[in-house]
Amino acid sequence: MGLQDYITLVFTDYTLRTITLGTALLGAICGMLGSFAVLRKQSLLGDAISHAALPGIAIAFLIHGAKNSFYFLIGALVSGLLGTFWIKGITKRTHLKSDTALGLVLSLFFGFGMLLLTYIQKQENANQAGLDKYLFGQAATLMESDVWILAGVTGISLLILLFFWKEFKILLFDPEYTKTLGFNTRIIDILITTFMVLAIVLGLQTVGVVLMSAMLLAPAAAARQWTNHLWKMIVIAAVFGALSGIIGTGISATQNNLSTGPVIVLVAAVFVLFSFIFAPSRGLLFRQIRFMKNRNNLKLHKTLSVMYEIAKTHKNFKHPHKIKILNNFQGFSRKSLKKMEAYQWIELNGQMWNLTDKGYHKAINLYNQQNIQHHD
Amino acid sequence: MTSAQFEIQLIASLVAIACAIPGTFLVLRKMAMISDAISHSILPGIVVGFFISHNINSPLLIVLAALTGVITVVLVEFIQKTGLVKEDTAIGLVFPAMFSIGVLLIAQNANDVHLDIDAVLLGEIAFAPFDRIYWEDYDLGPKSLWVIGTILLITIALLITFFKELKVSTFDAQLSAALGFSPAIIHYGLMSVASVTTVGAFDAVGAILVVALMIAPAATAYLLTEDLKKMLGISIVSGVFSAIVGYWVANFLDASIAGSITTVLGVLFFITYLFAPKKGIIAVLHRQRQQKVEVSLLTFLLHLHNHTEENERHLDHLQDEINWQRGTSKRVVDLALKNNMITINNQIVSLTDKGKLFTEEAISYIISNKKSEIEEMKSRFFLFRG
Repeated sequence: MGLQDYITLVFTDYTLRTITLGTALLGAICGMLGSFAVLRKQSLLGDAISHAALPGIAIAFLIHGAKNSFYFLIGALVSGLLGTFWIKGITKRTHLKSDTALGLVLSLFFGFGMLLLTYIQKQENANQAGLDKYLFGQAATLMESDVWILAGVTGISLLILLFFWKEFKILLFDPEYTKTLGFNTRIIDILITTFMVLAIVLGLQTVGVVLMSAMLLAPAAAARQWTNHLWKMIVIAAVFGALSGIIGTGISATQNNLSTGPVIVLVAAVFVLFSFIFAPSRGLLFRQIRFMKNRNNLKLHKTLSVMYEIAKTHKNFKHPHKIKILNNFQGFSRKSLKKMEAYQWIELNGQMWNLTDKGYHKAINLYNQQNIQHHD
Repeated sequence: MTSAQFEIQLIASLVAIACAIPGTFLVLRKMAMISDAISHSILPGIVVGFFISHNINSPLLIVLAALTGVITVVLVEFIQKTGLVKEDTAIGLVFPAMFSIGVLLIAQNANDVHLDIDAVLLGEIAFAPFDRIYWEDYDLGPKSLWVIGTILLITIALLITFFKELKVSTFDAQLSAALGFSPAIIHYGLMSVASVTTVGAFDAVGAILVVALMIAPAATAYLLTEDLKKMLGISIVSGVFSAIVGYWVANFLDASIAGSITTVLGVLFFITYLFAPKKGIIAVLHRQRQQKVEVSLLTFLLHLHNHTEENERHLDHLQDEINWQRGTSKRVVDLALKNNMITINNQIVSLTDKGKLFTEEAISYIISNKKSEIEEMKSRFFLFRG
């Protein structure tokens, strides 16, 4: 199936359209809210929350006695929030660190959820096939109503984001200052956390407990590399998230035996890898290039300063010297001399070299920090 | 109790001990979430090991899985060192990617792989006694018992041999580097032990519950003591206790043993979290309240000490002056009265000799900036605490 066929299929096939829309929306909202998680150094909170949601789902099933997405959602939301606040309580009130608190809540809640789930399975009316899906997720179970819920939550969180933009931003970068300005940081904090829990709970059905944290982190971590502006980062993260959803769904729909959740996560991981390497200014590749450039410049500067020391011994600094003189100093090559000529620091004449005006002044100012950067 | 039941409890207890030892150090080194990452990312190692050996019982699986665990740690550290993202983000990026690869590998070869992701994640210790090792028709016991027993023996041997090094590098990495034990070697050693333990334990209790067995006993112990040896002891005891109690709870409810062990661990931690003598929530809140009242009391006494005029020492005036709520001022005055610091005559408060002595000593400590001495002084003067 060609790309064009696939695109027409997305627009014509009801199921595929629903799933693509659903995963794209999920990716977008996760990218948006994940940006806050990454910047607040709460990256693993998403992992803890997604595990902590399990007992809520099980209890909702026990109380209600039937599979119902809405009750599951409420149950997951309540126990996810409970887990989050317990994490905050543990780190605030005891000397246990945040990693321990996260690990505790994650594993204890999940274990308790497991206990409840296996207990339910042994009951008579146990049609728990739907519950299993929450563990590993299944995008195919997305229905139009789920897409509407996702769209609604995305819309509301976008509105709240715009409305409290200033508060969110200042809380992100300077919580202490926010407090002194008289903002109620607790409420802002609870607001962000609640929406994060909501996004995670919505995603559980699609990508599952284990992979949810990557949905939240990967687009944001990738977006972080491209910009230093908060709003740009959020937009880029949302786009990356949505693209991961769309591409991941596409790959898994056209191949056999590829579950959607893991493929989406791997696509997001590719975005991260690409951003880590190729992002301008922060990316590893450009950093390496810059590093090598600096090292080369340093070498040229060193050669220049040796030449300057030699030229200084003469009354006229433009007096030519043999290249051989430089042999004691090993840090030069034909190529580097040529480069220095290109910069018009020196003139080469056969086996002789002499400094130019420009090179002379450059050498004088070499140790003057202000001039070191521009050597044009 | 049948022999199968006994064997399950024995295996569970051994797993608990084997997890508690590296878990204690992970918690102390603030690396608890690494265990979560390792427990998920060993999946591709297991799958690849299975592809090569075509035998779920092959030791190759354990070796490859442990190797994947160490690779995860190295990858996390590499990403972190680039400075592009923080450590927790690095962890959160690496393990879902590894896990996804594992899930896809299984799905791609679903026909000839009898590997169940559920089993990897959740484990089923109830089946452990059925998978036995025979030596010339002689029953040597369940395989998991041998696997986890070996891992435990190695862990204990390493713990005893390198206890001093572990201790120093955990609490003071710089000192340990200066003394000549490389923190890097100890770090990777610990990570390898954690990986191997996770792998050995996962088919008994599952990947996520390994995390619980590593972190929860250690966290419980850390709330009760600050002595490393005692902490190791308490985490081992609470791990084994949860394993045995958890087994019987599961037996009673006819539910997952691993889930029930974790739940008992959770209850144990929660009780400690509330009631631990010094670090528990109730103790902390009580101490905070006490501190608050005692600080108020000191302010109150200083005020009395500064003023000889009667109108400044009238009970009603105090409320306006120091701006306390009625409840607070009543508690402070009551505390002062109980400790014989003040006398009240016609609504006028005056310091007793003891109160004067206390206040003057407090002032001298405050002036000379020895505020920590005040705590000691309080215990000398106070008959009743706030």
